[in-house]
Amino acid sequence: MGYFYDGILKAADMLLNMDAATFSAIEATLASTACALLCAMTFGLPLGFLIGYTDFPGKKLARLVSDTLLAFPTVLIGLLVYIFITYRGPLGHLGLLFTLPGMVIGQTILALPIIVSWTAQAVENLDPRCRQTLLTLGASPWQTALHTMREVRYDLAMVCVTAFGRVVTEVGVAMMLGGNVRYHTRTMTTAISLETSKGEFAQGIAMGIVLLGIAFIVNAALTWLRHRGRA
Amino acid sequence: MSKVFEIRSLRKEYGGLPALELSELDVMQGELLSLVGRNGSGKSTLLRMLAFLEEPSFGTLKYFGGADPRREVTLLLQNPYLLRCSVFENVTLGLRLRGDRADLSARYAEAMKAAGFACPEAMASRFSSQLSGGERQRISLASRIIMKPRVLLLDEPTAHVDAASELMILDTVRACLEQDTTVVCATHDRQLFAGFPSVREVELKRV
Repeated sequence: MGYFYDGILKAADMLLNMDAATFSAIEATLASTACALLCAMTFGLPLGFLIGYTDFPGKKLARLVSDTLLAFPTVLIGLLVYIFITYRGPLGHLGLLFTLPGMVIGQTILALPIIVSWTAQAVENLDPRCRQTLLTLGASPWQTALHTMREVRYDLAMVCVTAFGRVVTEVGVAMMLGGNVRYHTRTMTTAISLETSKGEFAQGIAMGIVLLGIAFIVNAALTWLRHRGRA
Repeated sequence: MSKVFEIRSLRKEYGGLPALELSELDVMQGELLSLVGRNGSGKSTLLRMLAFLEEPSFGTLKYFGGADPRREVTLLLQNPYLLRCSVFENVTLGLRLRGDRADLSARYAEAMKAAGFACPEAMASRFSSQLSGGERQRISLASRIIMKPRVLLLDEPTAHVDAASELMILDTVRACLEQDTTVVCATHDRQLFAGFPSVREVELKRV
């Protein structure tokens, strides 16, 4: 257990002294996660809402596909995107491999099924009286959809937090598409993986503390929001 | 009195099974129409069709009114739903959906008082999770009457409320009738409108 206590002390020292490598990994993680989440939300929220709110031929198939993609292994996503953006791949000329944008593509694909599937679920689970109430108050179809989305806003916030948690803690995509390049694409999770394999626990523990801290802050913010809205 | 609804040879089916049959019914402006009948006789189904939430399977249902009937006819569901927002936002939602934001606070207070709330301001910032069943029912009623509808449809409005709330709801109905609003109410209680000067009763039979 001596390793562990030493690691905690060194981790505290690294965080307090703003260790450059540690903070570079934190920055890369937050930047790629934020971009991936933004992209996934932009496409995923409207798509999930449409699937949950409207009836159309093939709706069950769409749900089945998005639910199946929830179990998409991260390394498989990494592999598929790698094939496309590798220097010999169809998008190789864009030079995305081992860059943050390359990682963002993979992480967006990782987050998208969570957002689509759970947004659809949240809308489907909403009390059907909500839509009837809006219609009997004279809402137009557009207003009904908008207020329905507003009604599930706390569920959607929870969906986004879950997607954030999935992206910020994944290793496969970041390792395969980012390449774990120090001061560039090394994220908190790939740094933990690398440092642990070298027997250097301090940076790993420091990253772990930061990851837990971020998770705590995000969940605390969500709890505060829910309390404010008395959802 | 002018005609508001005209129903002829109406039939509603769900999955091929009949839920309602009504050969003829005219609803007149400013009248109180009480729909009575056993469970499953189609009272709620008829109200939902009058509220344009459902289409008849067969027959005709004509509405004589403006270009946007859904903004003239409103339905209070048997078990009303309040949105996850404050009482003020719930009550004024119908007006805001119409883009009518003039004097919201005063109109909110007026509607809430009409629904039996002595101090509307104290209720304004409360949330649906903090309300009793009777309060929810009366707030839902306030959210309808604030729009001054031409037709008010009520589905068992007193089924889940105490005697005090029932009296307040009936007072609100009385006030609506005085303003020439047509009220169509589904109920099991034939004595519900006993104190009203004029009420027309229509009994629906199970199909």
